[in-house]
Amino acid sequence: MLTASLAVPVLVLFALALLAPLVILLRQSILDESGSRLTLENYAAVIRSLAYRRALLNSTLIAFASTLLALVLCFPVAVYIERSNSRYRDALAVALTIPLSLPGIVIGFFVILFFGLTGVVPQVFLLFTGERQLNFAYTFGGMLLGYLYFQIPRVVLVLRGSVSGLSQDVIDVSRTLGATPWRVYLDVLLPALLPAIVSAASVSLATAFGAFGTAATLSRGFRVLPLEIAASFTESFRPERAASLSIALALLTTALLIGLGRFAERRLQPQGAPDAARGGAQA
Amino acid sequence: MTLLRRTRGGPADPIMAIGRAFTLVAVVVCLAPLPLLMVVATTVNWPLGFWAGGVTLNWLRDGWETVRPYAFFSVRLALSVLAIDLAIGLPAAWLLARHQFVGRQALTTLINLPLAIPGIAIALALILAYPTARASGLLLLIGQVVYTLPFLVATLVPALAQQALIEREAAARTLGASAIQRLWYVTLPAIRSALLAALILVFTLSMGEFNVSFFLFTPLNKTLPVELYSAYITNRVEVAAAITAIFLLFVVPAAIAIERLGGSKIGQA
Repeated sequence: MLTASLAVPVLVLFALALLAPLVILLRQSILDESGSRLTLENYAAVIRSLAYRRALLNSTLIAFASTLLALVLCFPVAVYIERSNSRYRDALAVALTIPLSLPGIVIGFFVILFFGLTGVVPQVFLLFTGERQLNFAYTFGGMLLGYLYFQIPRVVLVLRGSVSGLSQDVIDVSRTLGATPWRVYLDVLLPALLPAIVSAASVSLATAFGAFGTAATLSRGFRVLPLEIAASFTESFRPERAASLSIALALLTTALLIGLGRFAERRLQPQGAPDAARGGAQA
Repeated sequence: MTLLRRTRGGPADPIMAIGRAFTLVAVVVCLAPLPLLMVVATTVNWPLGFWAGGVTLNWLRDGWETVRPYAFFSVRLALSVLAIDLAIGLPAAWLLARHQFVGRQALTTLINLPLAIPGIAIALALILAYPTARASGLLLLIGQVVYTLPFLVATLVPALAQQALIEREAAARTLGASAIQRLWYVTLPAIRSALLAALILVFTLSMGEFNVSFFLFTPLNKTLPVELYSAYITNRVEVAAAITAIFLLFVVPAAIAIERLGGSKIGQA
């Protein structure tokens, strides 16, 4: 009994600071504007609204596009970092974790430094061609780059854990049988790492759907769900609208994490999905 | 086979060559912003080009003057978050690492819940639940504790669950060591790296947290990232770069320390 009491502080804290507020958020989302009547009108309004449907579509688009890019880029990276015996291996691994410690707003600012109106790339173009080119920081392309930046360490960390468990023999055998390096990646490593890739994708998608800072810094017209939540709360002060959007977003990310986690556990080899905490903080 | 093994990781292995090429691209993407940030922060008039108008340290000096109160506030907040996380998270981690009990899975899920819920939703829920507590800065503190606790627990549980450590504790017990002695002389030294990494991780996360803090801050309780954001929106690019560089001094060394302490190995069951 004494042992069980060790859970009391965390239970009290999470009941008061997480569960109760979430219940109140849920309740707020099913109240009408006067706050007296229960209704599903807020959700209906969200579904009817062209702007919110567009925001959901945009969020989905950028989450999947950035996740796909991150997976393609980081899959060979994880293989290299785990298997290399290069002297620089540790330094490379450290460099790849740096984006984890940066808030989304700083990542957005980095994109501005490179591809904003006075960014270094457009400036170099101005110098050589007399015209600013590639100043796309505030468009979909700039946001995509920012999202990719915060996905890199998250995807690499999840994949590395799984690569370290791979047997060298599988690679050696396929090489001996004449497989080209690209075929080894696609036909041998990819299937072996599929459970980890699904886990990495779920962490990456959930991070992208919830990302607020990067979008707040870079978005000029390409609206994503977290921006609409913020706007409906701080600009138009419609807490019930913000609440129903938040609930929808929270359900979406939770479903993604749980659904893909189950998929990885059941349909693929039972390696156990890595702890979500290894994917790092929110962006 | 031995021949292939010997060349593993060497330049002759084409699989590793592909991996190295992708790694170099990823590393360049991750690091390139840092030197550029320093150039912009030390340029007199950046919109005119590299070091246009000369090199200056004025932006950095003025930037520090501007953000100093927010930096100190953020450090104090991070230390408070750390203390609360430790007091609440360490017992929970111990329980999860050492005991099988009914509801163990439910407790793990509950502790990891903040990872799945967008920070903005957590912040909104807290404001709606406790509208009067916002002004005191209490919500900001609570929001960050909820948000960072899963990381502390996930880092400590595998360290506490090591079989060798459990056996050594049992041996110490047989030799007559009290619970306090076992904790101080056996357990804490054994989990030192993981504990240090967890503490630095929570500190860094708190210093850099924006999504929760942006909705919970007040003029008297304003964190460094919130101040950074207003600089991005309103200030000239050189000043924004300078205070970003100052901010990075607080978080990047910590991030490197975490990786050196075991990095991805930590938190891996």
